[in-house]
Amino acid sequence: MKYAFWPGCVALGGTPELYQSTKLVLNKLGIEVEELTNATCTGAGVLQEKNRKLGDTLNVRTFAQAEEMGLPIMTICSTCQGTMAQAQLAVIKDDGYLADINADLADEGLEYHGDTVTKHFLWILVEEYGLENLKKHFVRDLSGLKFAPFYGCYLIRPSDALGFAEVPERETSLEQVIESTGAEVVDFKGSKACCGLPILFINQGNSLKMVATHTGTAKDLGADAMVTPCPLCHLNLDGYQGKAAKKNRSSAIDLPILHLPQMLGLAMGFTPKELGMNKHMVSTSRLSEQVASPAGV
Amino acid sequence: MPETETTVKTVTANLKVYRYDPEVGDAKPYYQDYEVEVEDWFTVLDALIKIREEIDGTLSLRCACRASICGSCAMKVNGEAKLVCKTKLDSVWSPGETVTVDPPGNMPVITDLVADFKPFWDKVRQVKPYMQPTGPVPTAEYLAPNEDMVHLAGVMNCIMCGACVSDCTVLEVDKSFIGPAALAKAYRFVADPRDGKKKERLGELNGDAGIWDCTRCMQCVEVCPKDVDPMERIMVMRDQAIEEGYTGTSGARHTESFVNSVRRSGRLNETRLAIESMGVMNIPGQISMAPVGIKALLKGKLPSPLDHKIPSKAAVKKIVEKSEETSK
Amino acid sequence: MYEHDVLIIGAGLAGLRAAVEAEKLGLKTAVLSKVHPVRSHSCAAQGGINAALGDRGDDWTDHAYDTVKGSDFLGDQDAIEIMAREAGDDLIELEHMGVVFSRQDDGRLEARAFGGQRVPRTFFIGAITGSAMLHVLYEQAIKHDVQIYEEWFVTKLIIEEGVCHGAVAFNMHTGEMETIRAKSVIMAAGGAGRVFEPSTNALICTGDGLALAWDAGASLMDMEMVQYHPTTLAGNGILLSEAARGEGAHLLNSEGDRFMERYAPEFMELASRDVVSRAEQTEINEGRSINGNVLLDLRHLGKTFIEERLGYLQEVAVEFRGIDLSEHPIEIRPGVHYIMGGIKTNVDGATVVPGLYAAGECANVSVHGGNRLGANSLLDTIVFGRRSAQAAAEYVKTAAPSVSTDEHLNAEKSRIQDLLDRPKGIRWAAVRNELAHSMTEGIGVYRDQASMEGADAKVDEMRAKYSQVSVENKGKVYNTDLIFTLELDYMINVAKTITQGALMCKESRGAHSRTDMPDRDDENWLKHTHVFKDDDGVRTETSDVTITQWQPVERVY
Repeated sequence: MKYAFWPGCVALGGTPELYQSTKLVLNKLGIEVEELTNATCTGAGVLQEKNRKLGDTLNVRTFAQAEEMGLPIMTICSTCQGTMAQAQLAVIKDDGYLADINADLADEGLEYHGDTVTKHFLWILVEEYGLENLKKHFVRDLSGLKFAPFYGCYLIRPSDALGFAEVPERETSLEQVIESTGAEVVDFKGSKACCGLPILFINQGNSLKMVATHTGTAKDLGADAMVTPCPLCHLNLDGYQGKAAKKNRSSAIDLPILHLPQMLGLAMGFTPKELGMNKHMVSTSRLSEQVASPAGV
Repeated sequence: MPETETTVKTVTANLKVYRYDPEVGDAKPYYQDYEVEVEDWFTVLDALIKIREEIDGTLSLRCACRASICGSCAMKVNGEAKLVCKTKLDSVWSPGETVTVDPPGNMPVITDLVADFKPFWDKVRQVKPYMQPTGPVPTAEYLAPNEDMVHLAGVMNCIMCGACVSDCTVLEVDKSFIGPAALAKAYRFVADPRDGKKKERLGELNGDAGIWDCTRCMQCVEVCPKDVDPMERIMVMRDQAIEEGYTGTSGARHTESFVNSVRRSGRLNETRLAIESMGVMNIPGQISMAPVGIKALLKGKLPSPLDHKIPSKAAVKKIVEKSEETSK
Repeated sequence: MYEHDVLIIGAGLAGLRAAVEAEKLGLKTAVLSKVHPVRSHSCAAQGGINAALGDRGDDWTDHAYDTVKGSDFLGDQDAIEIMAREAGDDLIELEHMGVVFSRQDDGRLEARAFGGQRVPRTFFIGAITGSAMLHVLYEQAIKHDVQIYEEWFVTKLIIEEGVCHGAVAFNMHTGEMETIRAKSVIMAAGGAGRVFEPSTNALICTGDGLALAWDAGASLMDMEMVQYHPTTLAGNGILLSEAARGEGAHLLNSEGDRFMERYAPEFMELASRDVVSRAEQTEINEGRSINGNVLLDLRHLGKTFIEERLGYLQEVAVEFRGIDLSEHPIEIRPGVHYIMGGIKTNVDGATVVPGLYAAGECANVSVHGGNRLGANSLLDTIVFGRRSAQAAAEYVKTAAPSVSTDEHLNAEKSRIQDLLDRPKGIRWAAVRNELAHSMTEGIGVYRDQASMEGADAKVDEMRAKYSQVSVENKGKVYNTDLIFTLELDYMINVAKTITQGALMCKESRGAHSRTDMPDRDDENWLKHTHVFKDDDGVRTETSDVTITQWQPVERVY
């Protein structure tokens, strides 16, 4: 299996542990990737706010690059995946629009023909790699641990851009992958809610309330960690969890937030340090101990 | 469904319906289980109507047209807001399962499935939801391009059902947010060439609890039964507010910083984004971000303040600049 | 006890238009509605609003004649002339208020063809014209700060010495009953389509206004004129707008024939609604149907056209039937849609009860006579909503104030309490459903002496059964069980006036189609029927039709 790899700006910036753990896991799984080093930021919905067509153009440019490589695209960020999927939908259903955009890409000799598939690593695991094959690489049993899933808005809405009608498994993909490690899924209302990052600089009070509500609820239900396939969610849920707790609760939350590949890496036998878990704002040491104890290698 | 002479085939559906009687002394909401015989073409509303007509006349809910045009029957089905008159029962339920029905969220409950829409309508009134033409009034109709009217018809599809407000993630934590329905309504006037108060409207919406408070979670887009796309309208108004000169919000700075970063390098410069969004001269704001910044630095993951430039950044710059030209 | 110059009951198009006018004229205005204004059934009107615009070469007398002919000559021509003449200004006023209409390339309002009109003069936006207008009128009500009793339910009009002085109503949120005193009342509470099944109407269209006015001494005129709309969705009766046919859709029978050729060779699918419904019913009765329905075919219009001009129809077809109109025809049949009959008023909305006015579907001026043309109802609500408010404004200048008394309130409180206190009996729904099915059977597209007598007897039976109906919910807060029981009472009274009107009319005209008397009898029956409330039940009368320009001729489409 080989993919054109789009890590996203944040995996290369504010959450390097995501990039680090992804590379380790992909290597172990035998999934080959070639990084799209000349692709642009997807726009994350912010660029689209300013000018939707600009965002679509830049994403179609990325699709065209992957098309040239003859490879489907793998993303590791909910926001990247959702933004790209929306761009894909916009051009697939409107030939005139696609032609318009291709005209702007002609300078670079790029042209998109509509063939590139873009999937989040989470979907690739469930739909292409297969959970049974995934489990073969697990050496550490995570049963006894409870993980709360947190998808990230862009990976679950709007459903018509994300192919839920054609592939209904996507709606429970994160729970399925968590369960494949032996861990228990913490079922809570906020798993499909918003982390609040988009309004962090605009209305910090509300942003922190969202962080406190979702991490707090999961913690109160007994979660040992939250697992998310979106580094932007990670930035808020991890980075601002302390402040959120102080402003909204009488007690600390202290819920470690894991990137999806970090959870997989733990099941595969990597050390927390190898997976960059020491780089989180909310300490993961207790979780590391839980993982290392009896059920460990 | 087409009438046939044969006996109608029914199957038993299990519904769990939110009940609340404010007149009972220690009033607390509870769920009531109902078993109702349904036919395969039933909508959730058909099932609820059958309950109140044949099983339990005390169940209160709002409904009128049954044809998804009056907006009365928005409620939560299995946790998500829907217009129950157009929700086929078999799209949310299979035999053996239970469908949960709740009143719309983010609003006080009057009784059972009937929510108090007063906060909803108060917010709609706030945006001055009526035509405010300026200039001389023509004797005949205002001339307007059909394109504009068709565009408005899209947002006018809004039947004020409240599904978007019910499920809005910002309203969940902050009831002062003006909300997607009021904002979509505001857009209807901002985008109407006959209204003369575009700049003033955008100015007001630019303030607290307005267009910049939307967290872009797309919940309103997902649940809207009429494809109004409230979030997209909010986004367009953000851009229009910037165009009208309202550049002093952190939201406007955030958007501009993002675009400039991509223009310069093709990628997002997170550290500059944080600093520029907060406002370079906003010393207290900058200081408030320092603790997280310092912690990140100590963990070795404070993103470099220098741009991550892609090889073809010149080509990307051209694309960005072209889009700015054409949007003028 | 409250005090207003005018109390408008009903917040649909007629009610809100009256309210905005009343505010502009400086009246202390209040509107009362059992639903939030934008939930009113006006929102379900789809196709458009008629107006003859002089500045594009149309002539209001043409529109008037089309309407007179459409009414099968039962419409009062002075009222029709007024409506047609004032339509242009009212339409432009609506546009200035901000209603979004479809436009021609030159930016001016665009008109589409519609049933019974010889030239296109129906102004529209997609298939949501009613909703578009209603929301704008509500916006205007907000702009003018109109007071609204939102979700209040009227149980009785206050009549003192034969003069109307307001109403007794209860707040649906608290159950508290109040007297709302006003110098004048404009009844604009809509139609009574739910007296029949199937019906395009919302569940709230239970004839409250008709029954309240009748109970107060007004006459219900031409109640036998019940409009069966030709294109209602088979099964649940949801409306598929005439606009589809206006834009070129065809009606087909089971043999794939455009059968309208045999019934209305010139106007085809755009003949008046009664003609088309009868054609469909005949095809169905003679076995050329599919599952008891005929087909509406839009395939040849193309997907893009359908989605832009008839988007709501596509939505209904996809959501309720899983059918894409650009690929499949859809099964439809006649269903009750509108009551031409209603509270008799003069051209200014005044009823025979001083202080009581009426406008909109609940009123009968008569502009629709024996059959209403499509897109004339939206016009009717605006023109006569405005005119009633203007008339009420004049009236209140000299209207005597009423005596302040709790007599009516106490009587109503007692009556409602008795209803709530009834021992466990039968459910309102069973009686309502039986009534509605019987009415469709007896007062159908086609009817005869036996069927009408059967319906009339059934109504009496339902009236008897009503005394055994009990209310399960004894609470005060949003007690829909009580409301439906009160509505059922209104429906039974309205049904009685329909069967009585039908039995009076010894001819066929417009929507009143008797297989035992199939011809129009202009010599004896060019008359309006009136049903009044009487101590012993009902009292019937007839009156002449007002003719100004056009003598009745044979009605051919």
